[in-house]
Amino acid sequence: MMKFLYWKKTGLFLLTVVTLLALAACSSDDASGSSDTGEEPDKITAWAWDPNFNIAALELAKDAYEEDLDLEIIENAQDDIVQKLNTGLSSGSMKGMPNIVLIEDQRAQSFLQSYPDAFYPIGDYFNTDDFAPYKLAPTSLDGKQYGLPFDTGVTGLFFRTDYLEEAGYTKEDLTDITWEKYIEIGKDVKAKTGKDMISLDPNDLGILRVMIQSAGSWYVEDDGKTVNLVDNEPLKKAFENYKAMIEADFVKANSDWSQFIAAFNSGDVATVPSGNWIAPSIEAEESQAGKWEVAPIPRLDLNGAVNASNQGGSSFYVLNIPGKEKAAEFLGATFGSNEAFYQDLVLDVGALGTYAPAADGEAYQAENEYFSGQSVISDFSEWTEEIPSVNYGLHTYAIEDILAAEMQNYLKGKDLEDVLADAQAQAESQLK
Amino acid sequence: MSKVMKRTGLPYTASKKSLGRRLKNNYIGWLFILIAAAGISLFYFYPMIRALLLSFQSGMGANLEYVGLENYIRLFSDPTFIAALTNTFIYLLVQVPIMIVLALFFSVLLNDATLKFKGFFRTAIFLPCVTSLVAYAVIFKYLFGVDGLINKFLMDLSIISEPLNWLSDPFLAKITIIAAITWRWTGYNMIFYLSALQNVDRSMYEAAKIDGASSFQQFFYITVPMLKPIILFTSIISTIGTLQLFDEVMNITNGGPGNATLSISMYIYNLSFEYSPDFGYAATVSYVIVILVVLLSLLQFKVAGDDK
Repeated sequence: MMKFLYWKKTGLFLLTVVTLLALAACSSDDASGSSDTGEEPDKITAWAWDPNFNIAALELAKDAYEEDLDLEIIENAQDDIVQKLNTGLSSGSMKGMPNIVLIEDQRAQSFLQSYPDAFYPIGDYFNTDDFAPYKLAPTSLDGKQYGLPFDTGVTGLFFRTDYLEEAGYTKEDLTDITWEKYIEIGKDVKAKTGKDMISLDPNDLGILRVMIQSAGSWYVEDDGKTVNLVDNEPLKKAFENYKAMIEADFVKANSDWSQFIAAFNSGDVATVPSGNWIAPSIEAEESQAGKWEVAPIPRLDLNGAVNASNQGGSSFYVLNIPGKEKAAEFLGATFGSNEAFYQDLVLDVGALGTYAPAADGEAYQAENEYFSGQSVISDFSEWTEEIPSVNYGLHTYAIEDILAAEMQNYLKGKDLEDVLADAQAQAESQLK
Repeated sequence: MSKVMKRTGLPYTASKKSLGRRLKNNYIGWLFILIAAAGISLFYFYPMIRALLLSFQSGMGANLEYVGLENYIRLFSDPTFIAALTNTFIYLLVQVPIMIVLALFFSVLLNDATLKFKGFFRTAIFLPCVTSLVAYAVIFKYLFGVDGLINKFLMDLSIISEPLNWLSDPFLAKITIIAAITWRWTGYNMIFYLSALQNVDRSMYEAAKIDGASSFQQFFYITVPMLKPIILFTSIISTIGTLQLFDEVMNITNGGPGNATLSISMYIYNLSFEYSPDFGYAATVSYVIVILVVLLSLLQFKVAGDDK
């Protein structure tokens, strides 16, 4: 009996030792990085967010793909994808990583440069010249194309025709205007209709990015690294415009996405300057059908600024793990070259890609009843071609948090030159 | 022992045998704690050491390299970190005392022997504690929104003439966060005081009453000294909790406006996942929390604890 117990305990002890060894073995190879070995998997997985848009587009691509492919599409919130990729890739283990993943353009460089070799170059699987140039810069690194450009994120000025009419403005008055003019109209609309002009989240400076890209500028210079805030003329203008808007008292504050949607669905605001992906959310309020139209986005009052910009927009990437060829072939044959697929994408999902040959298709010319019969898609794809190409670089969100803090100081009355100089100094010390 | 000696008749071998048995007993005893010790080493100490090593490295994502003390030096010139630290201390210095006093107040009220529906009130005050952090934070965000219930309520009472921007004003946003944490954690601390109060001898209060002590005197000269160890315990726990504040800030204000409500933990999150990932520097910032927890706990022991 005693002996039996003794053995049992030794067994337990051995078990513990074995477990420890096994665990130690698991954690010891943190430097080995991605593995090219391993068997070709039967199933290809893809991660994306937004079921009405990106997921729907992937489903459509799966149906359009002629080869036999077992594609599993997994929906995650964008924040979760960013988090999972960061933890997964930095652990060095590619276990549990998807084959295909959607990444926002403004974050892409951060991933490509943080995790070299984690992504598979897919430039050979499609013709990069078919895509809008402003999409290629953020999706490539060192001359290699890593991302397959997806939705445009082209911006437009969505506006309520009835409110604007009440204040005495037509679509022509909103077409090809500057932000200064926009603010002027906004004050008038507020005075005459009592409606706010725009809804903004004080924590989100997305509108600044829209403004500066229309003048071909960004928070960093063309190398993607040198911080460019202090002598950045477009950024200065954008700050001034932002303050003017807040002070004009026509901004309805929101603090998250659902409040933002509610601001225009409830009819409280007259305009929504935003990426084209907002259209399905506007159309969701059926009682306002026929009361909306889209004008080109206002531009900065500077030479070289255009009435076209970009907000959001993302692209597909293939991870450097077994199954990468299959995944790349799938993307190349659908999002990379299939014109008919892009027509379906516009009709069924309302997603506007950046694949230029598709723009001549019939679906792109269709009139949209909701937007008072305007050929919305055709207008958007026309503006897409004008979007100035900028290098978003690595630090968009880090710099934006610094700017957000300084914006508060600026609104409180701090001098603009000082605001930008301080932001520049902070950014330079932080982003080495 | 003597029995054993008698039976064998050889004291020397007997003691040798018992030594052997003692060793064996020890060995078996060690075996029992081995699993727990190995588990703690593996899941606590090993990650702590790795994190410490990580805090001496810097670089984007997987491109980490050793930079010595550079991360620690960087802390002092990082305005965002200093803002996060300042905010955290504001939360700490304002919120923890308010909460401790409130919890003490409620627990004394609810300990009153003549109080009716005791169970109901106790449950009601403790209940916030069982809610999910994220869920309650989201609800607070809507309560304090521009169109939220709080603004409507204050306007209906004519206390304010137009809605306050609770979430986008740097000062009011801090108030909102403090109000949220206080609501969530007061009941939790109250339970500690309530249970400690059950151990305070009622005869002391009776004696004090006979001697003519007022309720205030009873509270300050009996209740508070008797609860001293628990007050120390709850203030340490609350301090640690506040230093790790994350969910509320993340969900209610997202650190904004600017970084007016940013907490240290949220800055760690931003460094790892929101910006270009720098896990090395993020680990350095998290070690600051460790150092602060140790220092503040020592301080509280010194100030409030007995020197035994």
